[in-house]
Amino acid sequence: MDTILKVSSLSKVFGGLSALSDISLEVVTGKIVGIIGPNGAGKTTLFNCLTGLYYPTDGQVFFQGNPVVPELSSRKAGLVQRWSLIFIILSLAWLPLFWSFFLSRTFFKVELTLLAIFILSIRLLVVRGLKEFQLWAWSVMFVFILGDLYLAIWWLTHPTTLGSLPGTEVRLAYFAFPWVSFAVPFSIYLSWQLLLRDVRQLYGFRLGPDQINRLGMARTFQNIRLFLGLSVLDNVRIGAHGRMHQQVGSILLRTRSQRNEENEIEQETLEILRFVGLEHRTFDLSGALAYGEQRRLELARALASHPRLLLLDEPAAGMNPQESSQLMQLIRRIRDQGVTVLIIEHDMKVMMNLADNIYALDHGELIAYGTPDEIRANPRVIEAYLGRGSADAKA
Amino acid sequence: MSKISPRWKLTGLLILALLLPWLPLGTSTSYFLRVITTAILYMILALGLNIVAGFTGLLDLGYVGFYGIGAYTAGLLTIHFDLSFWVILPMAALNGALWGILLGAPTLRLTGDYFAIVTFGFSELVVLVLRNELWLTRGPMGLPGISPPIVFGHPLKLAWEFYYLVVLLLMIVLLVVTRLEESRLGRAWFAIREDETAAQCCGINLIRYKIIAFAISASIGAMGGAFFARWFKFIHPDMFKFWESILILCLIVFGGMGSIAGTMLGALILIPLSEILRAILPQGMFTARYLIYGLILVLMMRWRPAGLVPFDRAQESKAARTRERLATSGGKE
Repeated sequence: MDTILKVSSLSKVFGGLSALSDISLEVVTGKIVGIIGPNGAGKTTLFNCLTGLYYPTDGQVFFQGNPVVPELSSRKAGLVQRWSLIFIILSLAWLPLFWSFFLSRTFFKVELTLLAIFILSIRLLVVRGLKEFQLWAWSVMFVFILGDLYLAIWWLTHPTTLGSLPGTEVRLAYFAFPWVSFAVPFSIYLSWQLLLRDVRQLYGFRLGPDQINRLGMARTFQNIRLFLGLSVLDNVRIGAHGRMHQQVGSILLRTRSQRNEENEIEQETLEILRFVGLEHRTFDLSGALAYGEQRRLELARALASHPRLLLLDEPAAGMNPQESSQLMQLIRRIRDQGVTVLIIEHDMKVMMNLADNIYALDHGELIAYGTPDEIRANPRVIEAYLGRGSADAKA
Repeated sequence: MSKISPRWKLTGLLILALLLPWLPLGTSTSYFLRVITTAILYMILALGLNIVAGFTGLLDLGYVGFYGIGAYTAGLLTIHFDLSFWVILPMAALNGALWGILLGAPTLRLTGDYFAIVTFGFSELVVLVLRNELWLTRGPMGLPGISPPIVFGHPLKLAWEFYYLVVLLLMIVLLVVTRLEESRLGRAWFAIREDETAAQCCGINLIRYKIIAFAISASIGAMGGAFFARWFKFIHPDMFKFWESILILCLIVFGGMGSIAGTMLGALILIPLSEILRAILPQGMFTARYLIYGLILVLMMRWRPAGLVPFDRAQESKAARTRERLATSGGKE
């Protein structure tokens, strides 16, 4: 059988508290898989790790065979080390040039400050190591680009006026040409990398929540997180964000493809709203919806991204029996459309009727796995829910 | 709710705006037009700031920095290279966007108050650079003698000519802002404002969309600055001080954060109010107008905290428009 999600030995530690320890699970494509556990068992933490909101302390996550949280590979670590080495060597070559260039100028106070910031950031980069790379990469880049452009333009406009290094006979021109030809493309390349690809992706080792969503994993939240100031229609259209392609240019020119895309998304949104039974509220403010309707709207928003895997965090919380049975039917219909569902639920009754397989968590550990009937009979699950002793009584 | 479609309302307003210079006001016409031109300039600025503060929900106190960058870009390019206004306008916008990205890329990872402080620092930095880099900006001497824009070979001189120019600019900015608002980009901004975590889980790259908002807002501010430089013909670092940022922010808060109509209405009321106060307040008390602005804002917070035209209302009318459009297109099919 096909596994859509594979988690291997995932751990999450908050300070000294171990919220998840060594969780391994597999979700089979096209099934409804449940996760149960008493309060504080780590169910929501698990979801947050899967969707990229938290960074797991240890372990790996694969979605459709692709690493969402990959292993820290030595190849990547080596890459980062080499990068930062180039950074530092380049900065060492940069310093005497910068220094000699500005010493001969009269307005060098500002530039000395820049220089100080630069040296400071290089130092911090070295000292704090790669963990803090993001921020310092940015600040170094900023100074780098400024200095590069300034010096490059100056050298290009005054090719003959270059002096020599202070106290020596070495002509600065010997430095300037190789430096400009190397450092400017390098800074442009690096800034391009930093601007277009998230630093985290380049130097860190995981995908962000937005990228995970675009891979096809959508979620809802335990405490409903809708965009309350926006209409129901807009909420669902935002859900489809990751599938749309329009950019600033096409929006400003209102190209044909942009209008077509908007129309398509609008039609599809109406279909999704009909599917969850909210079409009569399409144009209302989502903050004005009743509680049950808000839950369904959140589901619709998640569906709008055409997920392959849907993560539902206590979808039936706070619903009356009638509403929750409607919701269960809805989830089954979603499953029948080929979407795999991973669902957290407190209510055992809902879970027993709905889920094909169930994982039980307690205190951040996986305590049981099986069909609903097996879980119901499992003494460790009963113990976790009702306490020691009652397991014997119930058996 | 009136039955008139927004397109007709807009056309009506435009006709009204075009007729404005020809009202029989006698000798005070040009004064009146100058005040209205200022108000429309501030409308443009407020619409630009509204993208960051209103749509994306980030408190940006350094907006006037981009206004200053735009003004000095236009002023310097005019004085040194004598370029046409229509070349300078996009160049100023691009320069504004560049600085918006350079400022935004590292700082937009900060949230809330920290971000506000950084932007505040940026606006101060711009003023300091304008004041101290004499070789470039002439510092406290200012940049006098910027030539006015030339349209069809005719250098603009009269008040109504500049008025028409600024109305044209406003139309352009309005087109940009309304198109952005009703697109994937605008919805991403709203989502970020409402709930960052949920927005992320809907596939929105927070940093990317915040930077885009910042860049577009900065380029609109710089465009306003470019017009200002060519209109006023003199620019000075003191014109781009921190207080201007606060004033523009006031316009937005007064009009309604995030609502385009509210933002424009806010500028149309508060900017001429300053002129009215100049007439009413005794000589030497003119700086007290900020007190009155403050008082107005306090009263607004008490009685109408969401502003003159609240954002919700705008959303509802937008939804109604969509409904109408769907109804008509459904009838055709």
